[in-house]
Amino acid sequence: MTAPLLAIDKLQVAYHRVAVALHGVSLRVMPQTVVALLGNNGAGKTTTLRAISGFIGLDDARVIAGSIRFAGRRIENEPPHANTSRGIVLVPERDKVFPNLTVAENLTVAVSRRADAAERRRLQALVFQYFPALAELRPRLAGLLSGGERQMLAIGSAIVCKPELLLVDELSLGLAPVVVEDLARRLSSIRQELGITVLLVEQNAGVALAVADYGYVLENGHVVLEGAAAELRGRREIQESYLGQASGEERRSYRALRPERPHG
Amino acid sequence: MRDGSPYAQELALFGTRARRIRLAAALAVLAALPFVATPFLLDLANQVLLACIGALALMLLTGFAGLISLGTAGLLAAGAYCVGVLVREVGAPFWITLPAAAVLGALLGLIFGLPSLRLRGLYLAISTLGLHFVVVYLGGEYEAREVLSTGVMIDSPSIGGFTLSSGRAWYFALLAFAALALLISVNLQRSRTGRAWRALRERDIVASALGIDVQRFKLMAFMVSATMTAVAGALFAYFRNFVSIDAFSLYLTVQYLAMIIIGGMGSIPGALLGAGFVILFPYAIEAIAAYLPERFSNMEFAIDYAAFGVVMILFLLLEPAGLMGIWQRLRNSFAARRAPAVLSRDRR
Amino acid sequence: MSLQLVANVVVLAAIYALVSTGYVLVYRVSRVLNLAHGELMMVGAYFLVSTAGLFSSNPILALVLAALCGLVMGVLVYVVLMRWMTGEAVLAAVLITIALGILLRGLSILIWTTQQFYPAAMFGWRNPPVHVAPGVQISAASLAIVCLTIVVYIGLFVFLQFTRWGVRMRAAGQSPLLAEQRGIRLHAVYAVAWGLSTFTASLAGMLLALDSGVESTMATIGLKAFPAALVGGLDSLLGAAIGALIVAAAEIAAIQYVNPLLSDVVPFLVLLIVLAIRPWGLFGSREQLDRV
Repeated sequence: MTAPLLAIDKLQVAYHRVAVALHGVSLRVMPQTVVALLGNNGAGKTTTLRAISGFIGLDDARVIAGSIRFAGRRIENEPPHANTSRGIVLVPERDKVFPNLTVAENLTVAVSRRADAAERRRLQALVFQYFPALAELRPRLAGLLSGGERQMLAIGSAIVCKPELLLVDELSLGLAPVVVEDLARRLSSIRQELGITVLLVEQNAGVALAVADYGYVLENGHVVLEGAAAELRGRREIQESYLGQASGEERRSYRALRPERPHG
Repeated sequence: MRDGSPYAQELALFGTRARRIRLAAALAVLAALPFVATPFLLDLANQVLLACIGALALMLLTGFAGLISLGTAGLLAAGAYCVGVLVREVGAPFWITLPAAAVLGALLGLIFGLPSLRLRGLYLAISTLGLHFVVVYLGGEYEAREVLSTGVMIDSPSIGGFTLSSGRAWYFALLAFAALALLISVNLQRSRTGRAWRALRERDIVASALGIDVQRFKLMAFMVSATMTAVAGALFAYFRNFVSIDAFSLYLTVQYLAMIIIGGMGSIPGALLGAGFVILFPYAIEAIAAYLPERFSNMEFAIDYAAFGVVMILFLLLEPAGLMGIWQRLRNSFAARRAPAVLSRDRR
Repeated sequence: MSLQLVANVVVLAAIYALVSTGYVLVYRVSRVLNLAHGELMMVGAYFLVSTAGLFSSNPILALVLAALCGLVMGVLVYVVLMRWMTGEAVLAAVLITIALGILLRGLSILIWTTQQFYPAAMFGWRNPPVHVAPGVQISAASLAIVCLTIVVYIGLFVFLQFTRWGVRMRAAGQSPLLAEQRGIRLHAVYAVAWGLSTFTASLAGMLLALDSGVESTMATIGLKAFPAALVGGLDSLLGAAIGALIVAAAEIAAIQYVNPLLSDVVPFLVLLIVLAIRPWGLFGSREQLDRV
């Protein structure tokens, strides 16, 4: 069995040393797959991403127990640039582009030790190939882009860094479903071409499970469900709770329905 | 709540017996000081007491309510000049000039505080800086036009037949004022106003969401602080029998800021410690400077500046909690019982 | 207003604009208000005094050397001191710059004493008046300041817009976290910003020294230039230039028509008025207000 690219074991993260946001989260991301991390607001998804990418110091948060292993090496509490040079690149939820730089500048400003100039040009060309709309928008200021264009640019600028693991925080937030579908498809294609592994954090389970191979569901800082995407899609609880296909009943906490315990 | 539980101890002003003994001892020392100290030391003590008032005022505003002000020197000047002008123009006695200074302080506090309603952080600090320059200019104008010498001479305040001019008399007067300032500060800290100010310091957006009238409390913070500072300035004028605009430079503001930083932001004992430290510092430097080579013999103020800058930097870098922080750590390492955990949120 | 007054305004505006580039660079890139900028400018002027003493027959060398020392000083200030405040509360960083300013004041008196120096005299240069228009004259050094300010502004604009480091600096200024994530080393960018800032400040200080000498009160000019930067919004070079013009015009007008004693206070009056109307300055944006 191949080793996971990213292995998180019983991770506990606390804010301000007192407010525990993650209570022993464990998950595995296999290389060259897309893994979805689902859950509602406050479930701990963004905290998990921050812990992986090294931005945990934000808001005075810290990993207080457990481990994060990337390609076998422990990386918890490392600074962001260390993780970037390892190939972990984050597409954040907010502040995802430099608003006063043009699209072209956004794509060239990144400094990557993993890709030399020629490689970066090749990656940029690829980004324009998969996101042709960006090519048209090269001289436009990033702050003036529409939501969908901005997200494309954010993903594109992350790809130019030659990531091995791409962390995407809330792909669909604030975007129309048509736009999201398009984005998701393009992301899927480009990552297949480049062999990038993706950890996708999403509130919209439908979108995420459409592109993912595997999924985890977080609630209140715990993993409450995991499984292959196809399997998760079919579960009634997911459909009711996260796909909005409930029969008119109140949305219940998932944990009340099924005391499913994940392994690990 | 049973007496002796930690919370009861916190609430009581003069809590446990240990605290009461310590307080009595401190009072005894304070009372005895003017009778055993040399005139030089007594003057030092008086300067420290005077500085405590201004330090407490700044601590309430910046350390507590989190509103940055660079206008301390301007407010001190305003209080001092109020006395100077009133004494010179109409020969007013101190029981008119002091309240007048307080009223002027409150008014200026209102004016200095108005920017705080729209501005935050650095922009607020800069606007108070602007007001400092305006006050200093007005004082300078008055001196240039109305006064022939470089300052206003003021007689010592007197009531009945008694004139407040000896070091010892001033000691007790200043001790009384400082104690009053301390009492006001402590009571504000514990009151609803104090809690509102603390909420302001953390996040005023959150505070207003909680229903705290942010504007009112911001203005109150400025007005209380400015009133105290102006009265300190007035006392300063009487203490030195002299008012001159040259004494109220930006460096003075920085010194007061240093008092609350070195003492420990947001801490009342810290403000007092800081006041003592900053006032005594130049004298310590002077003593050391005697050992420096000849070349530096006339440049004590420069050595003072440089040393002061270094000390401020060291405190800001290494001990942001100031002397109180150092004190806490010493206590924690000696204490048999561990002190309750402190969430240090001031590092934000 | 006579042409001579206009010329005076232009010269004063150039001084303020040149000094303001330092405030803007450091603030825009690292969100720190450097209140030691005036003192750093003064030290730059003192550098010239020292190099002029060493190379009095070779003014060009002395000037270049002093400017380079100014640049290195900025980098050192960041690497030794300000770097530790990166990520800390902005207020603490500003307080440290205030402390640094005081330290520099003391040190410069200890090193160079309170004596007044005239580098122009040390070079044997008379700083002759130049007739720039009929009935209008300014000193040669003042003319040099105006020209240099224009050159510096163009240079900075080109640097920030078109060079790799310039774009990185702009990116780091907008979104430090994203910049870190995209591999931009913030410490390096900030060090360059500080170096450039003290470089331009030293240039200003040196030219002022050539014009009217150096003494320890020179730092006040730095403080007076601050409102110009703030009026412009602290974030924008163009804003600083326009702010400088406004402040200089107000100051000269006040000195001429109201009261010469107002010269120190007018910049701050302008500041207060602008802050009352537009708290984020003329060219700043609302976000700046909240960020701060």
